[in-house]
Amino acid sequence: MYGYAGKILELDLSNRRVVFRELSPEFASQNIGGIGFNARILYDELKPGVDPLGEENILVFSAGALVGSPFPTAARTEASAKSPMTGTFGTSNSGMFFGTQLKNAGFDAVILKGKADKPVYILISDENVEILDAASLWGKDSWETIDILKARHRGVELALIGQAGENLIRFASLENGRYDGWGRTGLGAVMGSKNLKAVAVRGSRGIRPHDPAGLLAVTKKGQDLIKSSSSYIAFTEYGTMNATIPYGKFNALGNHNFSRGTLDGWKENFGKQVVDVFSDRHMACQSCIIACAHWVEITEGKYKGLKMKDMEITPMVAFGATLGLSTEAAIKGSELSQRYGVDMVSIAGVIAFATELYKNGIITREDLGYELEFGDDDTAFQLMKDIVERRGLGKILAEGTKRAAEHFDGAQKYAVHIKGLEIPMIDARGRWSTWTLGMLTNIRGGDHLRCRNPVENLRYNENNYDYTKERFGFKSHVYDYLDMPDNLKEEIIDMENDTVDIAKMSHWAEDLINLYNSVGICIRPPVMDRIGPTTLAEAYQVFTGIDMNPVEIMEGAERAWNLMKLFNLREGEDIKDLKFPRRFYEEAIGEKILDEAKVQQVLSNYFKARGWDPDSGRPKDETLSRLKI
Amino acid sequence: MNKRLLINTWLCDGCGLCELVCAFSHTGLWHPALSRIKVLEDKKNGLFFPTTCAHCVNPPCANACLMNVIVKDPETGLTIRNESSCIGCRACEISCPFNVCLFDYVNEVVVNCDLCKGDPLCVKVCPTGAIEFVSVEETPERKRVAAASDRLLESAQR
Repeated sequence: MYGYAGKILELDLSNRRVVFRELSPEFASQNIGGIGFNARILYDELKPGVDPLGEENILVFSAGALVGSPFPTAARTEASAKSPMTGTFGTSNSGMFFGTQLKNAGFDAVILKGKADKPVYILISDENVEILDAASLWGKDSWETIDILKARHRGVELALIGQAGENLIRFASLENGRYDGWGRTGLGAVMGSKNLKAVAVRGSRGIRPHDPAGLLAVTKKGQDLIKSSSSYIAFTEYGTMNATIPYGKFNALGNHNFSRGTLDGWKENFGKQVVDVFSDRHMACQSCIIACAHWVEITEGKYKGLKMKDMEITPMVAFGATLGLSTEAAIKGSELSQRYGVDMVSIAGVIAFATELYKNGIITREDLGYELEFGDDDTAFQLMKDIVERRGLGKILAEGTKRAAEHFDGAQKYAVHIKGLEIPMIDARGRWSTWTLGMLTNIRGGDHLRCRNPVENLRYNENNYDYTKERFGFKSHVYDYLDMPDNLKEEIIDMENDTVDIAKMSHWAEDLINLYNSVGICIRPPVMDRIGPTTLAEAYQVFTGIDMNPVEIMEGAERAWNLMKLFNLREGEDIKDLKFPRRFYEEAIGEKILDEAKVQQVLSNYFKARGWDPDSGRPKDETLSRLKI
Repeated sequence: MNKRLLINTWLCDGCGLCELVCAFSHTGLWHPALSRIKVLEDKKNGLFFPTTCAHCVNPPCANACLMNVIVKDPETGLTIRNESSCIGCRACEISCPFNVCLFDYVNEVVVNCDLCKGDPLCVKVCPTGAIEFVSVEETPERKRVAAASDRLLESAQR
């Protein structure tokens, strides 16, 4: 098979059975790769109703279809399992070099089942799959473990957990080596529940493209498209930090557990200019021409000497805004989360929740042993340690905001989550947009990365009069460049009134991002506003030799989205779960507050656009048969 | 052809595209071990160092080769190999002071950079300009200037 590695590795840790499944061309073209494989595998093979932290849960890693090719940003691998946070489809995406090594070892995906009887790690070295003893690694943080395993096995890439995953903290993350991670939805706890410390993979097989010359040509085309994006230069310089000031201006940062709008000194401490203070170089994932990541060094103060890859908007907002910490402390917070192996968004959300409970007297100094205050890094990190080690109140908070809120009287109004997953930056009250509707409709719960308007305009923030529309505000060439079928453009973007239909754009954006996560490319804005199904279908064809037109490849992504929705419905998800936290409807930020009826209206428009029943949010039979499910 | 690769290590961000297309253009496979250029990494400092054959005037690898596989091309001055006679003893790999003779363990021969017959692909794909293709005379000059400006900068900061 071209492009694909051609095999799927299935490993049952309970009986140490290893199976190599052949990847059939039908399975490949139906599900594309990455999240598409994961959706299909979990939908078909995971029994409904199982305990996410039990032996029966399945953890899958799938590399995107284009991973291993030089196509720009083709580096990404999707990890999925039933989530211990939401009880529904848990999934997370990560870049760097894991996927390329996995495909070079000869596997497009790894399916992990069962539970080992003692701590182990897996070494995949081409077709040699070994289950090795991890007793000496258990209890070590993720960076220590990486140093040991990389020295022990030359050239491996690692997916691993820190202490949080071992201790079954519900929002534990999977770390992807030292630089990246599969952060959200608690997949680290799933790995920990299997007594599995790490998956180490190295390959020497090589991937054969169907049409080498064509692949180089489409790579060049993709690079030129990305470079032509108006946000390209900005992203090569400051990465995602470009957006910190606009979102601060919109009062949309979720400051102090989403309790206040503005934060003093946000622009000074977290504006993109701070990147220049802490960093003088960039880092890239496999095949990336943007290199949005920064190598950060702290040269003075309390955290002097800390060096790591950091300064992306999500950890900066999580620690800097949700918890109100200083810039240096926000960097330290990302280091600690990576070492412990916890989801930065969730840990910051949980600590912020606890801090607000403390402020309101629901938990006290006697419960905790110390005081909590927004902006105090020492106690925030102390609580982080207590949570990871499940000590004292940390034991309750380790279950995540939703479960912890049930434990304290009067805590519900401070619990900020959707479907049990803490919400990252972008408060829907401060900025109502395609992006914020996407948090409600997101398969994995309160999260911002699965729905994003490819032509979001950060200059405008004036949509609150009408929830169905978002200001477009670009010149017409942006519209021309957008890789979207003409009929959809006309339907979604109203050039005359300069607006985007939020419900319909959400449908398109979710499918587009699902396509990105299937082929394994990145959702950075310079990619999103230029590369779409036309270029990707072409790249897919020259790499794999499987003919697919832009409509079919988009349909593949939509199929995966619907499969995940069916998975969630099977696990008992209800339309009532698709709700913002109460405080979004009841407490104003500045003057802004969400109108619940209007939000529900847009949500039901979205269901209609998707071909789902507008009242129950279930995919209609005709939609499923159109998608051949 | 009197041009060589000039590597500006401080510009490298570690994307690995050079390795990818190098392996690709020489073997038709994406396979890191088959790349003639290697990006070394300093994990603790976030630094990357692309390394490749320097085409030494008096190459230790050629002296170490028992089979006389490695010769200097009189016209271009490149260190080239007759791979079909290579017995895979890897003596050249051990002798290379820069560790840039690479063992291709699919074909069991050792390979080195051939500058893509005068049109190196890695230079074309490098997104940051870390790899340049410049004349032999220019390389040491550029390196001296770079080193000198680093020193100047340091002394200015002191």
